[in-house]
Amino acid sequence: MEIPEEQSEIYETAKGILEKLLELMDLPATVTLSEEFTSIDEEGNTTSIGLNIEGEDLGILIGRRGQTMVSLQHIVRLIMTHHTEERLPIVLDVEGYKQRRCDGLRVLAMRLAEQVNTRKMPFAMEPMTPFERRVIHLALADHPDVMTESTGVGDSRKVVITPKKIPHY
Amino acid sequence: MKDLVEYIAKSIVNEPDAVNIEEETNDEGITLKLTVADDDKGRIIGKQGQIAQAMRTLLRVKAAKAQTRVRLEIM
Repeated sequence: MEIPEEQSEIYETAKGILEKLLELMDLPATVTLSEEFTSIDEEGNTTSIGLNIEGEDLGILIGRRGQTMVSLQHIVRLIMTHHTEERLPIVLDVEGYKQRRCDGLRVLAMRLAEQVNTRKMPFAMEPMTPFERRVIHLALADHPDVMTESTGVGDSRKVVITPKKIPHY
Repeated sequence: MKDLVEYIAKSIVNEPDAVNIEEETNDEGITLKLTVADDDKGRIIGKQGQIAQAMRTLLRVKAAKAQTRVRLEIM
């Protein structure tokens, strides 16, 4: 996968900022393009840039439920917006953690959808981050039998999977 | 510890020259006192303290590796 030329500068800038932060945190690590989280639309424009951090003992950088990774991503995005005009989402991953989590969430979403459809009862999932909820919503967006919505506020916001057809008694 | 906060702070404020950090070490660990231009305070703290919190999270990682504790105070 190649980043189109017009956006390669943004990729290099983001990579540079991240490498600088990791160096200042005394974490020896390498940063590579994450194909999973880099997306390019039909016109060939990049719509998000994914960066994967690889190295030894990086569990500390993931943190509980990936919270440390979220903080790092927040800082990288902030520095980016302060330096460039372009507003491109930068998505960080550590050792493919987020990718595995997303794969797991998609499998879980499909299984729960089946269950909801069989039982004809809504099901509320565990609270999740906005990014994780988005994965669930997207996974079930075209599902013929169920729909999804998020309820709750702040850290307790969660996805509820509901059957599309509620039987009439 | 100081250089990490300095890099982040200088990269997100409008007046990088006004960024100043004092580092103090005592029995409980390291305390960082961050001062920025008045107009930049919001940029350092963020909505509901989100940015300050994110900086503290990254500091905690570095402190854990160095087996110490670190406090970040925004003056």
